[in-house]
Amino acid sequence: MADRSTLTSALCYRDPKAALEFLEAAFGFELVMLIEDGEGNLAHSEMRSGDSLIMIGTEWTDDHKSPASLGGKNTQTVHIHVAEDIDAHCERARAAGFEILMEPADQFYGDRTYRCRDPEGHFWTVGQTVRPVSREEAEAASGLKIDGWL
Amino acid sequence: MSSRVFVALRVKATPERAFAAFVEEIGEWWRPNGLFQTTPRAPGRLAFEPGEGGRLIETLETGKVFEVGRIRLWEPPRRLVFSWRQASFPPDLVTEVEVSFEAAGAETRVSIEHRGFTQVPAGHVARHGFPDQALQMRLAEWWRDQLQAVVDRLS
Repeated sequence: MADRSTLTSALCYRDPKAALEFLEAAFGFELVMLIEDGEGNLAHSEMRSGDSLIMIGTEWTDDHKSPASLGGKNTQTVHIHVAEDIDAHCERARAAGFEILMEPADQFYGDRTYRCRDPEGHFWTVGQTVRPVSREEAEAASGLKIDGWL
Repeated sequence: MSSRVFVALRVKATPERAFAAFVEEIGEWWRPNGLFQTTPRAPGRLAFEPGEGGRLIETLETGKVFEVGRIRLWEPPRRLVFSWRQASFPPDLVTEVEVSFEAAGAETRVSIEHRGFTQVPAGHVARHGFPDQALQMRLAEWWRDQLQAVVDRLS
């Protein structure tokens, strides 16, 4: 068995096979497993990004829905952390048809981040650490009390 | 349309080296698995006969040779398709495996697609009682383990 990280997100799509394509185009996720039934319907799939996996599936029960079936509502978002060139990452997502909700911008905690929405309405956030920030500096910049700063 | 499972992993090698390792060294890296036994006997040693029409054979300890399949498409170093039959399959059932080698920077993405395994009839011994989805999941995990063995061999 290949190595697995402790946490893996599983996302629901109305058209998961289209999602496999636009997630590869936008983020460079690589398909590592796909299972289809005799009618060509996706039963299970996994994509790899760096050392992590993400599962792309169907709306497989009445309680598993894509935002596209829920008026665009999300209850979770997946965050991608990149090592370099987040602006190019954003342009690639835009070119793949993702809507950029917030353009790349430096944040008080030292990351540069952007937010986007994929063609079925899932939100994605992307960040790159661009400078080290101390807890004191982050508290001063945000007015928040911060515990557990790494 | 036949069912399929697809798995892919990257190996640290060129497509040429990965293809050669897959075909010529399968006897070294292959990991037998009790769920997908090629024969009811103790696992033997696998070998491809290179080229279209060549066989994938398993030589058992007794010296007996079992033909697992035949090469249907031979396109080194990009693609390889061969038929796949386990000894326990019904006589008319043949499934198909396609292996692809795609350069990805300094690495090669090796992918395996196994088509038609759910044609094994319900209740048949080669299913181990699994419904389609569980059978396909186990099949995918098993091929992923085989790919991992190729990765390990080339790292």
